[in-house]
Amino acid sequence: MSARASIIPFRPRPRKKKKLVSDAVLGMILFVFVEIMLFAGFISAFVIIKARAVGSVWPPPNQPRLPFAETAVNTTALIASGVVLLIAHRMFLKGKGLGEGRTSAGASAGPAVARGGLLSRPIGRLLVAATVLGGMFVALQGVEWVALIREGLTITSSTYGALFYTIIGAHAAHAVAAILALAWASLRLGAGKLARDVLSAVAIFWYFVVLVWPFLYFVVYL
Amino acid sequence: MLTVAALALVLLAAFPDVAHACPVCFDRDDEARIAFLATTGLLTLVPLGLVAGTGMWLRRRAREIAEEEERD
Repeated sequence: MSARASIIPFRPRPRKKKKLVSDAVLGMILFVFVEIMLFAGFISAFVIIKARAVGSVWPPPNQPRLPFAETAVNTTALIASGVVLLIAHRMFLKGKGLGEGRTSAGASAGPAVARGGLLSRPIGRLLVAATVLGGMFVALQGVEWVALIREGLTITSSTYGALFYTIIGAHAAHAVAAILALAWASLRLGAGKLARDVLSAVAIFWYFVVLVWPFLYFVVYL
Repeated sequence: MLTVAALALVLLAAFPDVAHACPVCFDRDDEARIAFLATTGLLTLVPLGLVAGTGMWLRRRAREIAEEEERD
């Protein structure tokens, strides 16, 4: 065999194309679409039942009124939580606020931070704040529900009660699931195992919970 | 029997009337009709908006990735 034949020509390996959207984010976007349609259906049902109420009286007589002004406090906590998460999310995507041991912001999916204390990083503190504010929203909703049940508004007391607990209860269930996801993301950040696409997927879910609330608030409570 | 049925059919065909069955178009109550129209619009436009919004976002994202790859 000649020396010439043993030379293997160099061919650069074709570079892997960057994914348009990560699997986690795409899956979450599709899930959120389904949930948006669920709440659009709820809102439609509420609006039609309200419009066809007997004698156009809504809320029905001898049923308590919903605490519009008090719920403004819950709403503020929820919106503040969304804003705090938005700041944390943007910082994370830019690779800022990760403390020591951070990796470059260009990495799309792999672990983004090194192990260390959760609260020692600005992003960790922001994530915890967003989780706590979300928890505050759910806790205040719970207090409000207890008061309404005491006043006689239950799921079987009227169509009004059934609609209220179904719609607001569905939102509360989503809020609880999203808070658990946020808490899990915070723990992963503390362990240095939080990937960008995982935080993005969790954040999209929380943005949905936050953004759908004002619609429910103004349609159901007003 | 057949004659009676045929006669009934002819009579029915001869005197048609509007059924007014669709609540979106023919509800007597103005408020209810507006509610039906509004929710029909909402449930039609929301999915279209979601698909269009996602399409635009993906297009922008594809452009960004292409620019990044060109720079590298």
